[in-house]
Amino acid sequence: MKQGAFAFGTLILLAILIVGFSSIYVLDVTKQAFITQLGKVVKEETNPGLKFKTPLIQKVHLFDKRYLEWDGHRSQVTTGDQRFIEIDTYARWAIEDAKSFFEKVKDESGARTRLDDILDGAARKAIADHPLAEIVRSEEREDKKLSTEEAQKAQDEDGGSGKGANVLQTFDVGRLKISREILSDAKPTLAEFGIALLDFRFKRINYAAVDQAKIFDRMIASQEEKVAEFTGKGKGEALKIGGLQQLEQETIKSEAERQVREIHGQADAEAARIYTEAYNQSAESREFYEFLTTLNAYKTTISKNDWLIFSTQSEFFQYLKQSTKKSE
Amino acid sequence: MSDASNIAKNVIQKIPAGIGGVVLLIIVVVGVMTSWFTVDPEEQAVVLRLGKIHGEIREMGFNTKLPFGIEQEYKVPVLRQLKEEFGFRTVSSNSRSQYQYGGNYDAESLMLTGDLNVADVEWVTQFTITDPKKYLFKYRVHDRRPQHNEAIMAFRDMNEAVMRQVVGDHTITEVLTSGRTLIQRKVIEKLQAMCKDYELGVRVDQVILQDINPPERVKPYFNKVNQAEQERDTLIERARAQYNQVIEPLEGEAEKSVATAKGFKERRINEAKGDAAAFNSLFAEYQRAPEITRKRIYLETMETVLNKAGRKIILDEDVSGILPLLNLNQEGTR
Repeated sequence: MKQGAFAFGTLILLAILIVGFSSIYVLDVTKQAFITQLGKVVKEETNPGLKFKTPLIQKVHLFDKRYLEWDGHRSQVTTGDQRFIEIDTYARWAIEDAKSFFEKVKDESGARTRLDDILDGAARKAIADHPLAEIVRSEEREDKKLSTEEAQKAQDEDGGSGKGANVLQTFDVGRLKISREILSDAKPTLAEFGIALLDFRFKRINYAAVDQAKIFDRMIASQEEKVAEFTGKGKGEALKIGGLQQLEQETIKSEAERQVREIHGQADAEAARIYTEAYNQSAESREFYEFLTTLNAYKTTISKNDWLIFSTQSEFFQYLKQSTKKSE
Repeated sequence: MSDASNIAKNVIQKIPAGIGGVVLLIIVVVGVMTSWFTVDPEEQAVVLRLGKIHGEIREMGFNTKLPFGIEQEYKVPVLRQLKEEFGFRTVSSNSRSQYQYGGNYDAESLMLTGDLNVADVEWVTQFTITDPKKYLFKYRVHDRRPQHNEAIMAFRDMNEAVMRQVVGDHTITEVLTSGRTLIQRKVIEKLQAMCKDYELGVRVDQVILQDINPPERVKPYFNKVNQAEQERDTLIERARAQYNQVIEPLEGEAEKSVATAKGFKERRINEAKGDAAAFNSLFAEYQRAPEITRKRIYLETMETVLNKAGRKIILDEDVSGILPLLNLNQEGTR
């Protein structure tokens, strides 16, 4: 019976081990727990480490202590100014009070249903209450503070569409504040479920397919307008430069012409003065000049083809007829 | 009853004494194998003892721990720069330029600008894990499959929210051109602050706007605008070049003609002065002996003139009426 005693001993040891292990548990750093005894909460544990409980009759309920994910439903919403947009939101939350969490929503999927109801609803309502610009803009720009009037003027210049292509939209509240309001509104409600909300934000906001096409058309139109503007401006500017060139050309040419003529005139005048000074000294000089110039003209005007008919009476040929001097 | 006790007795009897030794050996082997771990150079490890953060960070290389899962290590690559991509995914991490652009990621990158236009913004955020304890134990990082890292998921959500918030405060023109640096800076600032609030244990190193485009359908029209702008510049430059090509030489030409005119003037005056001086000398000579000088000049001139003339006819003053007899036409045209 030695062997039998050994086997019995082993069984006892096993039983002790089972009871021993069911009276201790490890609480991970990421977990929190409460202990129920016959359905009643007797103890809460939040600090990690090795923990003890009464075996068999006490039950450990473990919950996560970390920040948990919540991804909002992507949904189509109409804004306060009747534009269809698609929104996607997210939040991070944690189980703050495991006991009420367990009592009110039981587990994480129960909590997510509540979060869906509260946050999706709040987001949809906030979008419906505000025009699109309020949901897109968040913070006033330090570098570009437009006064309301200026912005209005810019928007009017944009063809008065009011949709303001290429103009920063004005806003009062803004996306950041809207999401913070949703956050602060949801916090107390969720606290009742033992849930602490860390943050709620709009992750994505885009035009719904219908509006998107319209917006793209508008963007295309605005770009085409710019193309026309650039093309026109290029041609206009080139023509302007061409005109300026024409003007400059004429100015330079005529100015030079003017100077040339003036200088020629001065030259002629000066020459005339010099000639006059020489030839006009006296009656005798005038006569001598006439004589010289006339004779000189003979030299230049008479050529080989010309006939000269003289009378012997002429001074040059008088000696052909007689060598004596004619009567004087 | 005796049957059952017999079976039990047989089973117990058949357990050889050696089995106990084998079990002990297995326990020892498992114990040794679970009592050490290694840490890579870029990593830090956090050790939990019975669920509690115990030894914080071990040295690189070989480390010991209590066996049987009493101590458990979690390793974090703290020295590695991590990155998350938005709007695209790098296909191969070896080559930096290989990107995959797909419709699948449009939802990540399409966003509204402050002027209610749509931009397609692709970016990369580089970050480092600075607080391994927060990173590991504030989010579900390691208790599911590795792709499901909720710290990274939170970080991605934050990125998308912040980028859209900042882009929503800029016009599409700013987003596409001048605003890049400003947007990057603002996103980093806001992300960093959020990382603290979210207790992510992460530091944002850089936000790099990779590729910013108008939406696919609108893109060609934006390109057309760029083209038109360039064409405008070309037209203007060409006109300017033409202007310079014409005006510059024209100015030279003008100066040249003025200079020529001035030269003409000098010449004209000098000629006049020369003529006057010549006349004055001759006239002075003439005044000394007018009669003979006059005659001499006359005769010299006549000599030259008669030499040049083709025909000379000298008529006696007493003979009259000869003129009609000369065939002037015939002779004259010969």
